[in-house]
Amino acid sequence: MVQAENPRHIGARVLRFEDDRLLSGAARYLDDIVRPNMLHLSLVRAQVAHATILGIDSSGLEDIGFPTQVFTAEDLGGLAIKAHQDYPQMQYSEQPVLASGKMRFVGEPVVAVLADDPYKAEDAAELVFVDYDPLPVVGTMDQAQDPSLPTLFDGWKSNVIVEREMKGGDLDKARAEAAHVIRRTYSTQRQAGVPMECRGVVAEYNPSDRVLTVWSSTQFPHIVRTCLSEVLGWPESRLRVIAPDVGGGFGVKGQVYVEEVLVAWLAVKTGRPVKWVEDRREHLMASIHARDHLHVLEAYVSADGRLLGLTADVTVDNGAYSTYPFSSAGEPGMVGKVLPGPYDFQAYHAVYRAVATNKCSIGTYRGVARPSAVFSQERLMDDIAEELGLDPIEFRLKNIIRKFPYKNVLGFSYDEGSYAESLEKMRDLLAADRAEAEASKNSKTRRVGVGIACFIEQTAHGTPDFIRRRVPIETGYIAARVEMEPDGQAIVDLGMQNHGQGLETTMAQVAADALGIEPKDVFVRHGDTLMTPYSVGTWGSRGAALGGGAVHTAATQLADKLRAIAAHLLQAKAEDIVLGGGKASLKTDAGRFVEIRRLARIALRNADQMPEGMVPGLEASFSQDGPADGTYSNAVHAAVVEIDVPTGKMKLRRFVVVEDCGVVLNPMIADGQVRGGVVQGIGSAMLEHFVYDAECQPLTTSFADYLMPQAPEIPSIEVHHIVTPTPLTPLGAKGMGEGGAIGPAAAIANAVSDALDVQVTSTPLNGNAIWKLSAGLRDA
Amino acid sequence: MTNITLEVNGTTKVLEVEPRRLLADVLRHEFGFSGVHIGCAHGACGCCTVHIDGVPRLSCLTFAVQCEGKAIQTVEGLGGPNAEHALQQAFKSEHGLQCGYCTPGFIMTLAPFVGEMAAQKRMPDEDEIREAMSGNVCRCTGYHGIVAAVRKAIGDQLAEGGK
Repeated sequence: MVQAENPRHIGARVLRFEDDRLLSGAARYLDDIVRPNMLHLSLVRAQVAHATILGIDSSGLEDIGFPTQVFTAEDLGGLAIKAHQDYPQMQYSEQPVLASGKMRFVGEPVVAVLADDPYKAEDAAELVFVDYDPLPVVGTMDQAQDPSLPTLFDGWKSNVIVEREMKGGDLDKARAEAAHVIRRTYSTQRQAGVPMECRGVVAEYNPSDRVLTVWSSTQFPHIVRTCLSEVLGWPESRLRVIAPDVGGGFGVKGQVYVEEVLVAWLAVKTGRPVKWVEDRREHLMASIHARDHLHVLEAYVSADGRLLGLTADVTVDNGAYSTYPFSSAGEPGMVGKVLPGPYDFQAYHAVYRAVATNKCSIGTYRGVARPSAVFSQERLMDDIAEELGLDPIEFRLKNIIRKFPYKNVLGFSYDEGSYAESLEKMRDLLAADRAEAEASKNSKTRRVGVGIACFIEQTAHGTPDFIRRRVPIETGYIAARVEMEPDGQAIVDLGMQNHGQGLETTMAQVAADALGIEPKDVFVRHGDTLMTPYSVGTWGSRGAALGGGAVHTAATQLADKLRAIAAHLLQAKAEDIVLGGGKASLKTDAGRFVEIRRLARIALRNADQMPEGMVPGLEASFSQDGPADGTYSNAVHAAVVEIDVPTGKMKLRRFVVVEDCGVVLNPMIADGQVRGGVVQGIGSAMLEHFVYDAECQPLTTSFADYLMPQAPEIPSIEVHHIVTPTPLTPLGAKGMGEGGAIGPAAAIANAVSDALDVQVTSTPLNGNAIWKLSAGLRDA
Repeated sequence: MTNITLEVNGTTKVLEVEPRRLLADVLRHEFGFSGVHIGCAHGACGCCTVHIDGVPRLSCLTFAVQCEGKAIQTVEGLGGPNAEHALQQAFKSEHGLQCGYCTPGFIMTLAPFVGEMAAQKRMPDEDEIREAMSGNVCRCTGYHGIVAAVRKAIGDQLAEGGK
């Protein structure tokens, strides 16, 4: 770890620079992009889940009274997104940009209809009819493994897309030594990130320079550019992808979608700018979904409560298509990888599979599979503790990893954390609640329960982690270019995209510390491939750790040059110069200094005053890859629930977080990320659920059906920090954007289990579920 | 097509609109106030909230022709280009926003509540503040900073009134 030389701004509660435009209404989101002579796209989408397309009838548009254009898969000549994991165990599939031959889920785009006004485009799309023959629907994990049902893709052997395994250590020995074998089945429901801004794409082709510009509400413009280039056969040098202000991502906008390819293709084909803005029904039916897991776990435990080994059988209901760039293998593979968690045991075997069904495809959502994995792992820990008659926190403390770096059963190396300390701190914070919960056991009408979730999160993982997965993302680095202008102000061109994380502020704090200027004098630009260096974008909890690392390292290179020029002017040694407060001054005599803006002017305009042989200019770039195994953040979450047994009504009374993400760049922003993640996790635990009927018709296609947390049911979230800096990233920061969302399902489920003396095995714990779980107490 | 007269943020325009055209679209496109955001277009998230004759209303559930002769205010008209309204400033200082997409809707929903509490000279309790924003969905903040911002905006006005 290299600390900033003069940290004044890193760690400070700097208010966000992006807020002014977001508060005043001056922000520009995708739907605010307007181009001259623009066409608007409306999509005719599949109304049944599985069918053969017989024909498309657009004759109704002949007398509609305004110009329209209609395009089908035939016009697109086989354009498709390929998201394949390069392993022999994975069956190959592609997602056609418009459904070709078959429709595979309700909401799949089938026909593109263009008009010069969005209302008219929708009118026109309503007059286009798709003729089809229904096929038997593959609707559940069981049906996906039923050989009597058709496969979703021709040539497939079954609807199991991929099945692989991960193992380590001697399970036979663990089994032989075990005094207790605890086997449980846990499931977590289908849900999604649901940003408040839906998706949207605008594309425009300029024949004069042959540049195709695509605006998309995306978290990773460079990855969109690469995918578009590959699918369209268009040179990346003449593709410009711009993510404007983006109204939330959460992983949903960390995918490349067929609509992005389609709109770009249409702009070239029609020679006019084309715009598509998703509506909420489309978003809930046909963007991506997440989770939808079934885990069967078996733990081997010694007589004295030591965890000896674990087996896992993991199934994910993937829906129809493999998503780019993480593929269908990403979700179940993550479960296999992370189930060993923060506990010290050395025998493990996981089999994991993704199965294809006629539903919306599964992709990334904050935490990516870890909320489900931690739900199962931490429910299991409570179930084991109960079976052995041990206190759940003491049982965890008995098994928690305490020595670092720790090589886990799969060979992953954990850097130092505060696992035991976090548990102990949480035990102190919960003492009164646990006493109250214990006392409430005497009541048949009002029960209080306390549950915890203890977990680690592999963050900021580097290229080797993606090489192992052999999926299209391929790498995990973040790049930044820092330059100083003749007036001494700095620009950071960042290869990430800022959609709520506060990167325009935190990255300015990092650059300012290295350059010795104020954060307000650093302009952080992002989201436009024309001006930012190639990077993987904003996902996977890598902003502070890798983005911060790239900015720090590039800015430090620039600072070295400033120091060399200052040393020349002050007739001192460069190592004796310190930058700060807009000045380059002597460490030993602060009264001797040169203003940094004068140094900038010399480097850029008065090169004759530079040291002899020095090259003019003030610019530096750095690409920060992540450590091979990532850096591991850790946290303990706790929920306190109160359940009114006669009505089954549950109130979430208290939610507490103890977390350790290493060095914090801006505590206000870090706490905001934790709290926002926790509340999404509460939605996962208690509310959010995409429901399909037996024909795979989605039943939750509005916010009246898909319920997200609203302010009245959410308590104030308490956040406590422990700081264990990591030596693996330049600033000692670990990733922390996703962690908040990972623990709540497990913590709340454990609290419900505690309150009602039941074993909770699935989410969501909505009103209906609590009513059923509390039936035993009402009947007693 | 129907002729209507709308006053938006103090500017009056006579427009010819289709009867089905949403107020949100007219504010965004005919008036250019892109601070009006559409989150669901079915009245369930509050992103599109504006003031019609001073009362918070959902512009995605309102046709422009229903607003003939009415005065409308969007977030641009509340605090101007520098977001000077006390609640906007409190959103900034209390970290009441992240991606900012739902933010104008929250501001327009809560500004009259802040004004009402200041007029009554009382600080509402936490449940009351949360209830006041129960028609709006924020997906980023977990509401913590928004509750704090409301409390700060009211507190500042109470303190000023007490001087």
